[in-house]
Parts: sequence; C-alpha cells; structure tokens
Amino acid sequence: MKIPRLTTLASVAVLVVLALFPVIGVPLSWLNYLFTFFIYLALANMWNLLAGYTGLICLCPHAFVGLAGYTLAIGTWVGVPFQAGLIAGAAVAALFALIISYPVFRMKGIYFAIGTLILPEVLKAWFNFWRPVGNAYQGMGAGYSVKGVAGVTLGDTYWLALAIAAASIFLVHIILRARLGLGLKAIRDNENTAASSGVNIFRLKLSSFLIAAFIMGLAGAAYFIFSPRIQPTGGFTISWLLLPLMATVIGGEGSEEGPIIGAAIVTFLRFLLADYGAWSLLIQGIILLVVVVVMPQGIAGLLRQVGAYRFPQKLFQAAEGKIRKA
Amino acid sequence: MEVTLVGLAGPLIKGILLGGLYVVIALGLSLVFGVMKLINVGHGDLVILGSYFALAAMTWLGMDPFLSLVIGLPLFFGLGFLVQKFIINRTFRISLDAALIATFGISIIVQGLVQARFTAFGMSLATDYRLLTFDVGAVTIPLRYLLDFIGGLAVMIALREFLRRTYLGRAISAASQNEPVAERMGINPNRVYSFAFAIAMACAAVAGVLQGLTFSFQPTSGPPFLIISFGVIILGGLGSMAGTFIGGMIFGLTQTLGAYLSGGSMLVQAIAPYLLVFVVLSIRPQGIFGR
Amino acid sequence: MLETAVLSVDRVNKRFGGILALQDLSFEVQAGEVLGLMGPNGAGKTTLLNVIAGTYSPSSGRVNFRGRNITGFPAHKVCHLGIARTYQIPQPFTSLSARQNILVAAKYGGKKAAGMEHDKIFDLVNLSEQKDMLARDLATVSLKRLELARALASNPTLILLDEIAAGSTDAELPRILGMIEEIRKMGKTVVLVEHVMKVMVEAVDRIIVIDKGAKIAEGTPGEVMKDEKVMAAYFG
Repeated sequence: MKIPRLTTLASVAVLVVLALFPVIGVPLSWLNYLFTFFIYLALANMWNLLAGYTGLICLCPHAFVGLAGYTLAIGTWVGVPFQAGLIAGAAVAALFALIISYPVFRMKGIYFAIGTLILPEVLKAWFNFWRPVGNAYQGMGAGYSVKGVAGVTLGDTYWLALAIAAASIFLVHIILRARLGLGLKAIRDNENTAASSGVNIFRLKLSSFLIAAFIMGLAGAAYFIFSPRIQPTGGFTISWLLLPLMATVIGGEGSEEGPIIGAAIVTFLRFLLADYGAWSLLIQGIILLVVVVVMPQGIAGLLRQVGAYRFPQKLFQAAEGKIRKA
Repeated sequence: MEVTLVGLAGPLIKGILLGGLYVVIALGLSLVFGVMKLINVGHGDLVILGSYFALAAMTWLGMDPFLSLVIGLPLFFGLGFLVQKFIINRTFRISLDAALIATFGISIIVQGLVQARFTAFGMSLATDYRLLTFDVGAVTIPLRYLLDFIGGLAVMIALREFLRRTYLGRAISAASQNEPVAERMGINPNRVYSFAFAIAMACAAVAGVLQGLTFSFQPTSGPPFLIISFGVIILGGLGSMAGTFIGGMIFGLTQTLGAYLSGGSMLVQAIAPYLLVFVVLSIRPQGIFGR
Repeated sequence: MLETAVLSVDRVNKRFGGILALQDLSFEVQAGEVLGLMGPNGAGKTTLLNVIAGTYSPSSGRVNFRGRNITGFPAHKVCHLGIARTYQIPQPFTSLSARQNILVAAKYGGKKAAGMEHDKIFDLVNLSEQKDMLARDLATVSLKRLELARALASNPTLILLDEIAAGSTDAELPRILGMIEEIRKMGKTVVLVEHVMKVMVEAVDRIIVIDKGAKIAEGTPGEVMKDEKVMAAYFG
C-alpha cells in the first residue's frame, strides 16, 4: 500500500478537524470568524492564480462576486432555490468572464487592469437601475433580499465555505502540478517566449480566468447566503478586490501558502477593525501601502528568503523516512 | 421622445463644455503616465479628495471653493511631492506592479478617509452660483459647465506653457520622452517624478473643485473618474495635449448626447462613458492621434 | 515541379507605420540545409525571423512551410507545425529552472515534441551542469545555450537561430559550429542569422544578404563575400 505524503495527511487531518467544529459545539463566534476566513481564502487563492501565477493583475473580482450574488438573489425571487442559485451564480460569473475575455485579453498590462476595473463599475450602475422582479426602488436602496434561507444555520454556511475554500486550495494545487500550471508560469514570465514555444496564450489565460471567476462567484454567492441581502454598493464594493489583493500581497504572491497566511491576517484585521467603520478602510489601505513598500515579497517570500522552510522540510522528510521504514 | 436638430444643439454645446472638466482630470493622469509610465489607480480618488477639501473649506471656513484653492493648490502640491518621493519612488525599485499596487493603496486610503470624515452620502459644493444657468439662443446652459470649459482651457494652457518655458517643465518633458538621455544630461529622474506627481495633484485639486460644482460626489466616486480620464488619454493618444483636449470633449459629448438620445436615461448616462473606454481599449488602444 | 523547399518566403513586405522594414522579400530554404542570413544592423533580419515565426504578420506576401500557407498564423500554431526560434537577447522563463524552461516547449510544442530526450539536449548545448538552476541565476552565455535547448525541445523541423554566437570567445566557436552540425545531423533545417563571420562562412551552405529590408545577394559564402553590392552595404 502506498503511504501518502505526510503533508497530505496533515492537510486532510486539519480539514477533518475543521469540518467537525460545528458538530462538537465550538462557539458560534469561531464559526463566524472561520466562515469569513474561508471566503477570503477562496478569493485570495483565485486572485493569486491570476496575478501570482498567470501574471494577470485583474481588478474585477467584485464583478464576479456581485454578479453571482445578484444571480442567487434574483433567482430566489423567481423560484430558484438558493442551493441551485449558488451554482447558477458561479456559472453566470464564469459566463460573464467568458464573454468579456475576447475584448479584455486583447488588452495588455495596465490596459488590462483598467479594462477589468470598468466591469464592476458598469455592473454596479446596471444593477442600480435594473429591477426585473420585486417592487420599484431607486438608487442606493435598490437591493434584493435572498429568499428561502431562513432555515440555513451558521453551521451550514460554515461547511459550504469550508468546502469552497478547500476546493480552491485543491484546484491551485493540482493546476500547479499539471501542464496548465507550467504554461501559466511561462506566460507570467515571458509571454512572447511562451507563444513561440507553442503555448496558446489566449486559451490558457481564459482557463485561468474562467476558473477564477467560477470560484470567486461561488464564494460570493455563499457569502450572500450567509448575509442574505444584496445591493449594488455592497455587492460590487471595492472591498471584494481589496481583500484578496491584500491577502496575496501580505501573504506572498506566487506561492501556495501565501494566500492562506494572507487571508488569515486579513480576516484578523477585519474583525479587529470592525467597530471602526470607514476608518478600517483607511487603515487597511495604509497597511497595504506599507507592506508593498517594505515587504513586497510577502510573508511567504520572506520566510523563503530566510530559509525558514528548510527546518520544517527536513523534519518532515526525516519523519517520512522513519514511517517508510516502519 | 423626439430627436430634433435644434434639440441636439443643447447637448452638443453642453457636452463640449463639460469636456473641459474631463480634460482637467485627465491632464494630471497623463502627466504622471507620460513621465513615469505609471497609471495612478488612485487618481480619481485624489480628484474626489479635492472636492471634499473644497467642501471642508466651504463648511468650516465659509470659503468659496475657487478661493479655497489658495490653500488647496500648495497643499495638494506638497502632498503629491511627498507621496511620490517617499512612497512611489521606493516602489519603482521593486517593480512596476508594486507601484501599481501602491497607487491602489492610496486609492483605498483616500476612500476610507473621506468616508470616515464625511459619511457615505452624496455631497456637492452647494455654492450660490452653482445652479445658475444662462441662455444662448434656445439653449439653456448651466454656468458650471462653462466654468468647466474655462477651467479645462486654463489648466491646459498653463500646463503647456509650464512644460515649454520653465526649466523644470522642460526637464519633465525631456524625461517623458527619453529618460536615459535626460538622465545623462543631468536631470535627476526621481526629482522629476516628484515634481510631476506634485503637479498632477495640484491639477487634481482644481479638478476637484470643478467636479464638485458639476456633479455630486461620494467616497466611491473616484474609480469612475479614473476610468474616464484613462479613456480620455487613450482616446486622445498618449503624449498629445490636443488629443487629450479632444478626448475630453468626446467624453463630455458621450454623456450629454447619451442622455439626450436615450430620453434622459440615467443608466445610459452612467454606462455610456464606460463602454466607450472599454471599446477603445479593446480595439484601438493607441487612440485617435496615436500611430 | 518537385517541392523540396521546406520554407518559402514569397514577396513579403512588412510595414511599421511609415517604415518599410521588409521589401518584397522572396527566397526558399531547402530541406536539410543551413541557410545563413546576413546584413548590416537594422537590415531587417530579426523582423524577417519574427514574420516567419508568426510573431508578426506580413503586410503583404506569403510564407509557406512544407507546402502549407502559414501566413499570419499565430506564433504558437507556427511552433506546433514545426518551426522553433531563439531570441537574440535571451528571453527565458526567469522563475523556472533550465529543465522547466525546456519542459514548456516539450509539453506545448506539439505531439512531435515527445521525440526529444531532454538530457541529450542539455548535453548537446553543454548545459548539463546547470539543468536544475533557475534561469534568473544563469549567466548570459548559458542563457543563450538555453535558448537553443528550448528551441530543440519542441522537436522542430526548422530552427531559426538569431545570433547564437554573439558574444562568444574564439575558443567557443568550434563548439558552436559543432552544435549546428549536430542539429543538421538530426535532419533539421536551419536558418542562421549571424554577425560572426567565421560561423557564418563555415556553418552554412548558402547565404542570403539583405539590406534595408530587401534581398541584395544570394549564393554560396564564397560568391556572396565577393559581391560588390554586399561590400557596399557593409562598408558604404
């Protein structure tokens, strides 16, 4: 029987423990905290996939989140149960990414960044005025509640978020070890060389983009099941861009563990600053600024530079060796 | 709703006048982009900061917004100089992406600051003359649009003369055209960057006053202006001031004509400029005047 | 007529704004030959390689590869069909190791890429010691060899080499000549852009000289070197 790697075993163990939390009676505040962490983690992993591994600085996560949220919400008004709405939301976000990919991937570098920034602004304006169902409403109040989620407990949404976060980690993991991961890194490092080595730039960028849109949509819809009211300002708030961006910058771009570390810190910050209203936005901006100037490689990058991984690595290898012999 | 030739005159004139506002906003972005090849993602937010500054001057000091520029201009200039010198210049040593993220950080800081101080509700610079209009023939023109146009022209001419006639201005021009050569001729790029950003922020202060008189604003009004001013400079062609001017006019017209032709639809008014930028970015990023 | 030409460039023009970089350029490359491409700086040699490799589309004219019209095909498709190229200034995947660099070409270069053994490639270009080093840590001279390794990894029929001997010492030249000979023995066809005369003269079967985007001479090295027009182009 093939003995699985120690790191895999450890990860599965952590997953099982986390999954048991609602069952073993952990305080609800913990579940709340972890729920938020899982959502941010999924978003951060996807932003890292785009920016850290594909070289696409995409400023539109809030487009995917808001779009998925609205699909979910409006769906529940026309008889689509939220469970299906969750998937539908993610699918709509991915479809949107597909449609937008043709013009958007013609743009390079900064043009791409600003081009993607336009998307959530357009959607925000659109949903300010478009009300296909429900009573007439105008301006900032033009929101929808998500119907039919009264029976959903915090434990349920917790599991949902845990599943999505785990899926995001798993996805990034297998992509990096597959041909796709190699191609994405090649594109990130040198697009022209990648193309002349046979990499279909458009198709790979599109794959990355679609996967990110889908998972971000899932995370967004899950959030709006947990907090069942969506408006243009909340659904398309720039926070949905700030959070994964901050998590990736703080944690370390282009590494697998970076987003996990970063998301943990960002979640912590969010809860710490929760009582300070808009000042929390200001403080987060300052932190982002400081980190990008002082520690641009992020925590994971810093750890790598300092060789902090070598000790645990040796420990793991030694432990694995002993287990194999036994 | 009927679209008549006579009816078109109003939106046409108003669009051209309004374009002046977009010119002022775009000039700051264009200067920084030309010199440092950096798009300041927080540019729109800095313009809004200018609006809020004028609002603060009005509310607490009872000053007219234009008069507040006496304080505002040097303040913004100094602030811009410091930001570039101590923050953005540092990030250039890391990577261009790091600089971009830094400007995004600035964007967030400004949004947080004004929201904390002034709440998320929409504001405007409610001066006595704000709602004045005057008639040209059958067309009613809001005074503030005329002010926008005059402002656009004034800032553009002032900037052009500055770039041509002063030593610093010529240094900035040189650096934006060919930095290695400029450097070898004794021009310190970091210094040039600091001054360029400072000037861009001064433009933002002026733009903020004009903007605050023309439209209402909220903490989240920044990114739309970033997008539009980016569209202006791309459409007009990078490095061309005449192009930027025409680009501004086009965006002004997009809004006014869009409103008119759609029968006053606010959705169209809001979205039309975005769509224009998007289309330009995907089809002809070198703009009308670019090659 | 027997179609033995692997590549045929037919009246290709390439315009950049107001500048005509390639003028009515026509020539053929026979299967298995090593064709040299010469010309003063700015003559359009790299532009020509870019057009053949699909990085640029010609403004007019045709490019045929193995009987197929590949004009305007994107770079990745041209690679799949069997053309690989190196860059004059090395353009590696900086965060990847040397081995991973060629793995990109191996995995994405099309089905034929499976036929190349990577260790043999590294031996050929003399990079065996640096296989696992990151590209960003390699010296420029190693990077140039990595360019060649990556080009070989997709198992191309035609290889476009852009100044691989540039910056080499005289002692290294025999090694480079040896590499080109190895490639020829594999049955591949080579188009070689080179300024280093020794390599140009000894490695190639034929030379084409271009100046200001137009072909001004074609023939064996001996013929071309004596051509007056070539003299004029280089020495004015």
